[in-house]
Amino acid sequence: MTVTISEFFKESANWAFLAIAVPTLFAGWRTVTSNNIVRAVLYLVVSLGGTAGLFFMLGAEFVGWTVVLVYIGAVIILFLIGIMITRAPLGQEADLSHAMNVKAPAALLSTVVFGVITWAMIDAFGNNMIPPFEPTATSDLSLLLFDRFVIPFEVVSFVLLAALIGGIAIARQDEEVVS
Amino acid sequence: MEFADYLPIALMSILGIGFAGVSIFLSKKLAPHNPTPEKLAPYECGIVPLQDPVIRFPVKFYLVAMLFVIFDVEIVFLFLWAVRMDQFGWVGIGAVVLFMLMLIETLGYVWKRGALDWNVARRARNRRVVAPVATLDEAA
Amino acid sequence: MDAIDYHALLPEIILAVTVLATLLVDLFTSRKSFAAITAMIGMFASFVAILTLAFCDNLTFCTSTGDRVLFGGSFVVDGYAIVLQGLFIFAGFIVVLMSVGYLETDRYYEGEFYFLIVSAVLGAAVMASSRDFISMIVALEIVSGSGFLLAGWRKGDARSNEASLKFFIIGVLALALLLFGVSLIYGLTGTQVFSEIAAASSSVEDIALFNLGAIFVLLGFGFKVSAVPFHFWTPDVYEGSPPPVTAWLSVGSKGAGFVGLLSVCYLALPSVTEIWGPVLWLVAALSMTIGNIVAIKQTNVIRLLGYSSIAQAGFMLAPFGAAAATGADLSQTFSATVTYLVIYAVMNLGAFAVVIIVGTRVGSYELERWSGLNTWAPGLALSLAAFFMSLAGIPPLAGWFAKFVMFSATIGVGSWWGYSIAIVAALNAVIALVYYLKVLKSAFFDTVPADLDVATLEAGTVPGPTSFAIGLTAAAVLVLGIFPGLAANLGDFSSDFLATLGL
Repeated sequence: MTVTISEFFKESANWAFLAIAVPTLFAGWRTVTSNNIVRAVLYLVVSLGGTAGLFFMLGAEFVGWTVVLVYIGAVIILFLIGIMITRAPLGQEADLSHAMNVKAPAALLSTVVFGVITWAMIDAFGNNMIPPFEPTATSDLSLLLFDRFVIPFEVVSFVLLAALIGGIAIARQDEEVVS
Repeated sequence: MEFADYLPIALMSILGIGFAGVSIFLSKKLAPHNPTPEKLAPYECGIVPLQDPVIRFPVKFYLVAMLFVIFDVEIVFLFLWAVRMDQFGWVGIGAVVLFMLMLIETLGYVWKRGALDWNVARRARNRRVVAPVATLDEAA
Repeated sequence: MDAIDYHALLPEIILAVTVLATLLVDLFTSRKSFAAITAMIGMFASFVAILTLAFCDNLTFCTSTGDRVLFGGSFVVDGYAIVLQGLFIFAGFIVVLMSVGYLETDRYYEGEFYFLIVSAVLGAAVMASSRDFISMIVALEIVSGSGFLLAGWRKGDARSNEASLKFFIIGVLALALLLFGVSLIYGLTGTQVFSEIAAASSSVEDIALFNLGAIFVLLGFGFKVSAVPFHFWTPDVYEGSPPPVTAWLSVGSKGAGFVGLLSVCYLALPSVTEIWGPVLWLVAALSMTIGNIVAIKQTNVIRLLGYSSIAQAGFMLAPFGAAAATGADLSQTFSATVTYLVIYAVMNLGAFAVVIIVGTRVGSYELERWSGLNTWAPGLALSLAAFFMSLAGIPPLAGWFAKFVMFSATIGVGSWWGYSIAIVAALNAVIALVYYLKVLKSAFFDTVPADLDVATLEAGTVPGPTSFAIGLTAAAVLVLGIFPGLAANLGDFSSDFLATLGL
């Protein structure tokens, strides 16, 4: 079943989608164009919040809350502290952008990639309507995680362990407490 | 869970954003606006600032933040286990205990290495540089 | 929940315990070498566990036969998994051996270093057994994550920092491409398990988005195996990292990338070779040609080995390109890549072990400083010659058999896809001789630089663990070269299961 543009705007869920997607896109744009690092991080918060909202709309509640908890709650803090511990200026900075000879090919490449992906998406799905669906229950997710995906689950803990130990060894002051 | 359950959250968010937005907008509109360089300078007990207020924070803050992120991720996974824990039995408990063991080992590592020790004077007494310093200049 | 076959998981369990034990031993003992010993014991035990799985039919206590399928097909222990897990553990063992002597030359964090190496081996081993995208990507994360950190292990050295950062940014980009491709494939087939994608792929292969997803996945792994045009990070990262880490990156990390490519192409997308075959044909041809031509101009031995590893990746990709031909014997091209990977790993590790020793003693990795190596260290010069000749593919060293298998697989498909890539490979094998021999000429026929004191150089000793690593790899290179049947067995062992899939 396909939808026309006028049908698209009759559906309230589509308005909700636009209300989330447009600010998300705008915030993402400002994240990369802002000349103030702290502001860029705060725009990233808005962008991630929008992403979480889209997950809620798709019925993936657990993933949505994970984005809120881990990304907005923790990773952004890490960003801000990362800015604080380096010599990065906190205020306005004029030369954050690259020169034109770097910008132009990058812009061209991104536009081409965007065009190809968009074309392929439209080619594959067209304006098909998404069939009605129920939100995914978190308990179903946990059944999968602890049955089929128990190996990746344990491996994740090793990823965290390796990242943290290595990160600390790289980041900490080069000294050892002699007891 | 139905989407309608999110209505209170949506209303709450709209109210919150609206209140903040209106307040900022009104205060901009209503407040008198007459800036001078002195008014715009950062406030430091009425004394003219001597240096850039931006200083480098010790890297220890970063370690604490990293620990926070890791344990945050742990909570996400533990939550999945908790919603169905009665069904997984000992295998589930084993999996979760192993998972937590990694993070506890991390904490132990950080502790033993003294990265959680905030006693600056004691650290200064006992410090010994351990990272490579002599650079073998291979490209020279 | 089914009962878990713990014997099938034993190598991974041992490695996981080793990871924890290495860190704890380092924390609670004062001797730095204890961590290395723990790591080596653990990897050895895990290797033994792999052997019990490989020769399960001949063992009395082993009841299960055939491939072991766990967790609904997400984790499979078959010939392919066993060969590559064995390879990764061997590589990790050798890297630890050659690190022991190296790390003592400066004040490195040692326990954490071995901990990260064992973690990376664990990740690579899990990757070899993974039969779905989620397991594979999570395992790949350990391999790449520890690689980023190890590359920056020389904290005071700006080039090491640069290597770490460059590797990190490129690695994250590759991972993003990979994940995006996986999400497209999942969106169209509704599954992320390789066998189910293989079943569904012929019905969606005409959709452009599916092709795009597959190509994104190939790009993601293309960065990991440092194939041209995704190679530009390789020389800088290899040069900046501590050399034992470079050895690991060029064998373990690259091997993990190849495991990803092999699994995705031959397990998930075997019925749509027309999607990945031509792409990888081009990548293989470019990698061989550009890698070899740029290598000729290199004056730094580590950078030279970096470009050489790009070219070798091209040789390993050549059978993929040949598989584009319709009706190609996929199990033959598959086993050619696996055989090449095994032999490449052994000879490259050996080459790095020798290079590290000589480089540390001379104090430079510049080729001109190495001239006259033969006069003050004939043993090292001889082993250097053995490994470089093997990399060049000269009989009776193992490298010739790797190239032989690669040529017979590519020509064997009986189509111009195969013939053309074989011609490119043949030309490149000749070009490669130039720079491998250049190093040997300098080592054997040039005079020692005047400012180097020959007496001091002669007095230097090779650390015991490193000489053990050189001996082990040199023996392997000789044995595999003289009795190539052994290596061929490994390749066939790993491709047997493809026959069971009906390919």
